[in-house]
Amino acid sequence: MSTMHDLIVIGGGINGATTALFAARGGMDVAVIDRGPLCREASGVNAGTLTMQMTRVALIPYALRAHHMWATAREWLGHDVGVVVCDGLSLAFTEQEAELLAFRAGKRREAGAPITLITGQQALQIEPGLSDKALLAGHCRVDGYANAYLTGLAFRTALLDAGVTLTENNPATDILQTSSGFEVVTKQGPLRAKRVVIAGGVWIEEMMGWLGIDLPIKTLVNQLAVTERIPTAMRTVVGIANGLLSLKQYPHGTVVIGGGWQGSGSREGGTCSLLPERLVGNIRLACHAVPALKDARLARAWTGFEAETRDALPAVGPVPGIHNAYVIGSIHSGYTSGPYLAKLLADQILGREPDLPLFPIDRLLKPEPLAQG
Amino acid sequence: MVSPHCHFDVLVLGGGPAGMVSAITASQNGLRVGLIDEQSEAGGQIWRAPWASSPQGYESPEARDGNKMRDRLALSSVTCLFGRRIWSVTDRYRVDLLGADGVETFQAPHLIVALGAHERVIPFPGWTLPGVMGLAAATIMLKAHGLAPPKDWVLAGVGPLLAAVAAGYARKGHPPKAIIDLSGPSDWFAALPSLASRPGLFKQGVGWVLSIVSSRIPIYFRHAIRRAEGQDRISACLIGPVDADGKSIDGPEVGIACDAMMVGNGLVPGGEVPRLLGADQVYRHELGGWIPECDPFGRTSLEHLYAIGDGAGIRGGAVACIAGKLAGLAAAHDAGRIDAGAFAHQSAQALAEHRKLSAFSDAMAHMIRLRPAQVASIEADAVICRCEDVTRQDLVAAARAGARDVNQLKHFTRCGMGPCQGRMCGDVAAEILAQEHRLDRQAVGYWTARPPLRPISLQSMLGRVDYADIPIPKPAPL
Amino acid sequence: MVSAFTRIVASHHALVHINVDGVDCVAPAGEPLATSLLAAGYVMLRHSPNRHNPRGAFCLMGVCQECAIHVDGQIVQACMTPVRAGMVVQLRGAV
Repeated sequence: MSTMHDLIVIGGGINGATTALFAARGGMDVAVIDRGPLCREASGVNAGTLTMQMTRVALIPYALRAHHMWATAREWLGHDVGVVVCDGLSLAFTEQEAELLAFRAGKRREAGAPITLITGQQALQIEPGLSDKALLAGHCRVDGYANAYLTGLAFRTALLDAGVTLTENNPATDILQTSSGFEVVTKQGPLRAKRVVIAGGVWIEEMMGWLGIDLPIKTLVNQLAVTERIPTAMRTVVGIANGLLSLKQYPHGTVVIGGGWQGSGSREGGTCSLLPERLVGNIRLACHAVPALKDARLARAWTGFEAETRDALPAVGPVPGIHNAYVIGSIHSGYTSGPYLAKLLADQILGREPDLPLFPIDRLLKPEPLAQG
Repeated sequence: MVSPHCHFDVLVLGGGPAGMVSAITASQNGLRVGLIDEQSEAGGQIWRAPWASSPQGYESPEARDGNKMRDRLALSSVTCLFGRRIWSVTDRYRVDLLGADGVETFQAPHLIVALGAHERVIPFPGWTLPGVMGLAAATIMLKAHGLAPPKDWVLAGVGPLLAAVAAGYARKGHPPKAIIDLSGPSDWFAALPSLASRPGLFKQGVGWVLSIVSSRIPIYFRHAIRRAEGQDRISACLIGPVDADGKSIDGPEVGIACDAMMVGNGLVPGGEVPRLLGADQVYRHELGGWIPECDPFGRTSLEHLYAIGDGAGIRGGAVACIAGKLAGLAAAHDAGRIDAGAFAHQSAQALAEHRKLSAFSDAMAHMIRLRPAQVASIEADAVICRCEDVTRQDLVAAARAGARDVNQLKHFTRCGMGPCQGRMCGDVAAEILAQEHRLDRQAVGYWTARPPLRPISLQSMLGRVDYADIPIPKPAPL
Repeated sequence: MVSAFTRIVASHHALVHINVDGVDCVAPAGEPLATSLLAAGYVMLRHSPNRHNPRGAFCLMGVCQECAIHVDGQIVQACMTPVRAGMVVQLRGAV
């Protein structure tokens, strides 16, 4: 007979791993299962940007708190994820972009993000690597980046230190509701718990289906690229008004180029491929913003899935109609905000009042959900 | 962006023996063929075109075979797209290239991948010193560029290439100071019967042995390099005995002063393109490592994608030619240019030849196989990933921190993240990880293939473009 | 320079001048730059970016990236780059 855990978290990305970590530290007996190694999907392959200027307005209060968590990762996570806190610049190269930037920066500022508008010349003083072609820039001191590929190592160690039962490379295939809670069917056999958290990234739609809930999740295929190590070309996080560029140079010298240009592929197929013309477009934009990048060589490009709900706001909260089942995912700019939202969910699971409201999924379900008792 | 050139029925990637023969065969059977290679001439590594001298300058059977095939290629209707770096290959089958005139795109319904292999060098402390070079590099210097290492050079590693390089340089009056052979005489004798199945090559081999013997080059059988020393360049090396499995064993170590070293331990199939496209992979230790799963005609698990030559398993040049013929015929058949009868008839002879060569290929592949015990003997401070200076002890620490597959290992250590994209370290890093966890190589996997297939400068991708021309997608929601 | 790599075949290619870290050198036009540098005694080409260890050409076939150095201001693999008259070569890598 397998152990009865207090909580099983299905999916060991940022969301699942952070929920598990705080639940375990709150005294629960927690198990985490992942179909692969921890943080090897979106949480390990994203651009690592920790920015307010690409965050949705409704998420700004969460993102600010999450940014603080990342900046102090050593204290609560216990391990370095290569976080660098620096200035962020969001650029506008045309009148139209300037208008968009001014509007968006204003909305984000209202939500609490300390973004100020500066001229292109002022931006050049903050970031000498910039092109002189920017007309206007949004400047935010709360910005920065983590080294996403270190996330798995950091969380793995933290979870084990917190006494979490960790099973990697063990896909779940079903969730059964029992009189005492849940039985999660996995490749390596059933696991039992009083509570369950579904944190399966783009795959939460399928997992919610196991509970009879229809939660449509759209899959984005984000393209990313990285240069080889080059001499210092920039010291800030650089983006553009419409959010389709993120650019930063890591302390070891590589420059990561992202911004959500879409590749092709599907979560069902598991494989995705880069569209070369979009990679070229992304790189043109990057070199337009920071011209010194032209001299760098592209070392690698890759894709990662991102999950999005119908309203592109997070799915974080209890599963309607199913006691002790929770879901967390689809957090836009989820790498930035994920840890804080996961901490809030852990609070709710532990019976504490979360400091900020969650994002319950009732709004995303059809009027008469298929939920079963 | 310019739309792709679509006027080919089949694109062949790689202009070595397999690629050349497949291109010629496909074109003879009615397909419009584009043959792509980064070099300015066809030949690949084994038939690399002599550059320094006139084509007749360096006489060897390979040089003659290469020239013959280059002549056949020139007479064929194959379109040669040389001097172009392949940086992306995507679905059905789009190939993005970078040439002297910038970025170009081709697309064809059939793709034959014949991109060959790269060398495996088992690391030792100091192998990153300037003056230490690959054995394959030595053959390029010898065959194509007419360049000899400085007087005090040593030759180390395993397999027939050792003898070929030693003899080649001995005949030019530049013998190595010593040969350090991982194999022993008994290993060579064991390979003799299969060598004898290829009389031409056997004769060539006897010639090599005679040259080596008459040059009185000291040979250290069942020895390997323990470390290389030097400041900005190799100045000495230390060698020591190994057992039949390649494991370092107790015994006298010998120091040799030298200012260059050529070292190689076999070949690793360069299977990045089929991997990038998602073709099924299989680990075959005796064929050099991870290869695409193929039928006898080179058909992979993906429709109209063929993989042949050493990139689909280390079998050598002669087998590569036959594989080229079979894949060329299969592509013509699969494209409906030849019927089943003609296909069966034309391929029967090639399949029979293929079988005849297998004893020899097996023996050679066995000789240059990865020896896990040799990897186990790599010292803790030896750099494994040259690009990122990741040592064996870094990899072992990551394994103990929970990395169980090679992509996790990459995340934990940056091993394989540099510009060589893990080609130089991949096989050995995976072997170290597997040994650390007592897993087999299947379980630890392979690096996920990523574009660009070789680093390219961002400048070269830009083209002449205005900001307004960049097709920026619509903004994300606020 | 001591113990340089030696040319053993008389080349029929025209010799041209290139500049290597400010020093004028001659090399056969069209020869892979890595070969010309070895023949001219330049065995160390760069330092590795992480631990700054000396490196030289290793594979000569475009795989290892050890000979990636600055030519006319761009990083290129010397083994894949044909010599051209007037080339300006800097023996340093991407960092």
